[in-house]
Amino acid sequence: MAATTLRNTIPRALRSASAPLHHPSVTAAATQVRYNTQSATDARSPFAQAGSHRTTKIPDFSKYRGGSTSGNKVFQYFMVGTMGALTAAGSKALVQDFLVNMSASADVLAMAKIEVDLSAIPEGKNIILKWRGKPVFIRHRTAAEIEEANAVKIESLRDPQTDADRVKKPEWLVMLGICTHLGCVPIGEAGDFGGWFCPCHGSHYDISGRIRRGPAPLNLEIPEYEFPEEGRLVIG
Amino acid sequence: MTITNSIYNVLFRRNYVFVGAVFASAFAFEMGFDTISDKVWDNLNKGRQWKDIRHRYVEEE
Repeated sequence: MAATTLRNTIPRALRSASAPLHHPSVTAAATQVRYNTQSATDARSPFAQAGSHRTTKIPDFSKYRGGSTSGNKVFQYFMVGTMGALTAAGSKALVQDFLVNMSASADVLAMAKIEVDLSAIPEGKNIILKWRGKPVFIRHRTAAEIEEANAVKIESLRDPQTDADRVKKPEWLVMLGICTHLGCVPIGEAGDFGGWFCPCHGSHYDISGRIRRGPAPLNLEIPEYEFPEEGRLVIG
Repeated sequence: MTITNSIYNVLFRRNYVFVGAVFASAFAFEMGFDTISDKVWDNLNKGRQWKDIRHRYVEEE
């Protein structure tokens, strides 16, 4: 019983003691009273009321706007697309011009191929042509020479190549007339093997243009050529 | 209004259609531009190019 009275009296004493502390303005002016009662019943900030007002109200511009915006949208996309198309065309032309600039010019292309009339070359004769600044040997080989070229043992050669690998038609031997040693021009129908002989350092080539003796390491080079029709040869 | 809307819906709404149209129009523009500029160039250099004087030097076979 004594405990309950103590429990009841302590809050009361606290309440009576704290009342003047927490409510000092109860006896003050009327405006202050109203302000204080509000803060007493409501824990929110006194500025919360003011904050609830919409201070960032956006004005209504609809009066100044046109009716529909789809026309503007189409115009904007059209301008963007036109810009993109012009840029694409321009950059394509730029890249193409640079690439075309790197390719061979018309005068170089005109010199890149030569055409030979083979009917002018009798059997067993050489001719020498200039192609891309280099000499080209064309020999109309006889049947005996073809047989001789085929009879060679491939294994014994320094640069093993069959005669069939070096010609497209056995009677026509077409090759670059540059010694594979140091680039002299060999002499035709000379040397120990009935073919070509390089006078600079003594390389002997046989009737198929293969190196047989001397310092040259490789057979005479074969250019690209074709026979578009009978009696015609195009080199290059 | 309806025309602009239909243009927007057909051409601009999907990006792949838009980009495709851009490239197609770039191709068309390039062809037209090249043709016109070549014509202008040939017109300015009339009588001075090889194709204009070729008949004087080359006899047709």
